[in-house]
Amino acid sequence: MITHIKNARLLCPANGWDETGSLLIEDGQIAAIGKVSGTADETIDAGGLCLAPGLIDLRVKTGEPGAEQKETLATASRAAVAGGVTSMVVMPDTNPVIDDVALVQFITNRGKETSQVRIYPAGALTKGLNGEAMAEIGLMADSGAVLFTNGDRPIADTSVLRRTMAYAASCGALVSSRADDHALAKGGVMNSGALAARMGLSGLPREAEWLGLSRDLLLAEATKCALLIDQVSTARSIDIVKEARARGLKAWVSVAAHHLFFNDLDVGDYLTYCKVNPPFRSEDDRQALIEALAAGEIDAVVSAHDPQPPEEKRLPFAEASFGAAGLETVLSALLALVQDERLSMLDALMPVTASPASIIGLPQGQLVEGAPADLVLFDPEKPWLCVREQLRSRSLNSPFDGRRMVGRVMRTIIAGETVFERKD
Amino acid sequence: MAIPGYSYEFNHTHLLSIEDLSRLDIDHILDLAEEFAEATRAGKRPEPHLKNMTVINLFFENSTRTMSSFEIAAKRLGADVIAMPVAQSSVKKGETLIDTAMTLNAMAPDAIVIRHSASGGVKLLSRKVDCAVINAGDGTHQHPTQGLLDTLTIRRAKGRIEGLKVTICGDILHSRVARSTTMALHLLGAEVTLCGPATLMPSGADSWGAARALNDFDAAIKDADVVMMLRLQLERMNGAYLPSQREYFRNFGLTADRLKLAAPDATVMHPGPMNRGIEIESAIADGERSVITEQVEMGVAVREAVLKLLSGRRA
Repeated sequence: MITHIKNARLLCPANGWDETGSLLIEDGQIAAIGKVSGTADETIDAGGLCLAPGLIDLRVKTGEPGAEQKETLATASRAAVAGGVTSMVVMPDTNPVIDDVALVQFITNRGKETSQVRIYPAGALTKGLNGEAMAEIGLMADSGAVLFTNGDRPIADTSVLRRTMAYAASCGALVSSRADDHALAKGGVMNSGALAARMGLSGLPREAEWLGLSRDLLLAEATKCALLIDQVSTARSIDIVKEARARGLKAWVSVAAHHLFFNDLDVGDYLTYCKVNPPFRSEDDRQALIEALAAGEIDAVVSAHDPQPPEEKRLPFAEASFGAAGLETVLSALLALVQDERLSMLDALMPVTASPASIIGLPQGQLVEGAPADLVLFDPEKPWLCVREQLRSRSLNSPFDGRRMVGRVMRTIIAGETVFERKD
Repeated sequence: MAIPGYSYEFNHTHLLSIEDLSRLDIDHILDLAEEFAEATRAGKRPEPHLKNMTVINLFFENSTRTMSSFEIAAKRLGADVIAMPVAQSSVKKGETLIDTAMTLNAMAPDAIVIRHSASGGVKLLSRKVDCAVINAGDGTHQHPTQGLLDTLTIRRAKGRIEGLKVTICGDILHSRVARSTTMALHLLGAEVTLCGPATLMPSGADSWGAARALNDFDAAIKDADVVMMLRLQLERMNGAYLPSQREYFRNFGLTADRLKLAAPDATVMHPGPMNRGIEIESAIADGERSVITEQVEMGVAVREAVLKLLSGRRA
């Protein structure tokens, strides 16, 4: 099977490519790029639209196993392809927790059986995410877990974290940790500050993120552990990371796409769809994250997809669950910044393609001969209205509900096969 | 307050927060409340404005005082009042707040008075019902009728609000009363000073309309026309908020000596229930400057006014 995509704006952040041309797919791999010749079984005229590597999302939660009413790998995959996401790392915060080899294999196998996108399991750092006993990091790494994390329950006990990092380093495993000081953040539900005080809501202080971040970076340095900092949300966090990097530490940092779009004012009238952790911060923080992204200081933009059904969200703000569905809106959130001329197109795509691919060592994420033909074809200027009922996730808790978006995925290809095509 | 050539209409369906009200709205409610208060003092029953109407008191948090105040206000106006304390409701059986709201709504009441322990909880409920909703306190967010009754009490004691120096002292962080009262007084032109220990003073408290937020009570009380003390929840002592009752009383308790720093005719207030000897000296609470019992009286009057304005309105 040979597919020829012609008349496309080819975008490859890995080698700085942005030019019009053709791309040839053969046997699920990219066979040729630029000016191609020869006969094809199928020819797709891209009509000048953008053709980029499919998105690689390093942070997705589903409800499988244990909470399939929220989301399964199959339903998440439906949302993913509609958002141009072709590979995703799924978090271990499930029931049971993904903390042993059999469960890692279960996720891998279920992914192959039921999901269109490529599924990569993340393993738990501690058994049952209890923050106490180390999980079988080495065995899980050998079975295909691409990174290790305590997910939404960052390890509170610093000595447990230190030992876990040291052990992970010896296995060559990547650790991902959300920066958090457990005691300081306890009970908080939105960004600390004047708005939280006015609304009578307890705050998640920025200081908790800075303390956790400093701790995690210092321990990574001491243990020589490869660290991916999960979802920073404040301006100063960027400075803390920069300072650590200046000392020579190799650490990657991710930002959730919704933090590039919303600030704490969006919580407005106790909107629980805007209840996420880390919380939406101030406008200054949002601007700083965008600037850091433009400066290449952010290694990955993630969806932080966290499906929550109505019964978890239709509650008073303090009682509602954290989390936002995000798989279908990552690319549009980034393209809005391109449209506003805050980011170049390649800078917007880098943290969702080549950069996350290199963090977890995947061959996809770039337009090169021999790479898997995971591709997204999108119209960078097409406007659309995000209506949650039209989203494909099983849970519809999107903070983007009702927002005007720009940039739409028109076709998604995985291993050379079209898995999604927008008809409207 | 009629101004020739202008018409005014109270056009709210619910009373959820002082933030939703304009200065004219507040004046209107207070004027009406004052009429009710005078009528009661004169031994007259008001017109049965709420005859054949049903008011539900839905209290998810225990409260004898506020619930009774609303009940008396509604009954004086001729309403049928159903009390639904949480202990007897199905919320304990796992029914969600929204399900409770929809169930009660189906019974077609004319007004629901709600107290809930979560900030924003009353607003959430109000979205799911067709009738008027009156917030009787939601978490640490708002307690609008308390803000209104405090304002009315001050207006009666001082004859005005504009230009008064009002000092509110205590646990500002956890106080919905401080939020509502500060906003109402600010809207009417008072200069509000908030005071409390640093651990119980939220960031950005000055954005509620307070002129300043201080940790020094002696500085905060200086020349105050009104001093309002807040109740200190005794459980704050167990946490790391405060070291002891006696240290709190020394720094933030209202004593006769400290009251001398305020204006000579300063009025003393407390939303109740009081911890005598912790935030306020008994002699002051019972003294001639105290209008604490009048606050309770105005509470009923304000609730009569609010119920008259809102009952029967449809969302």
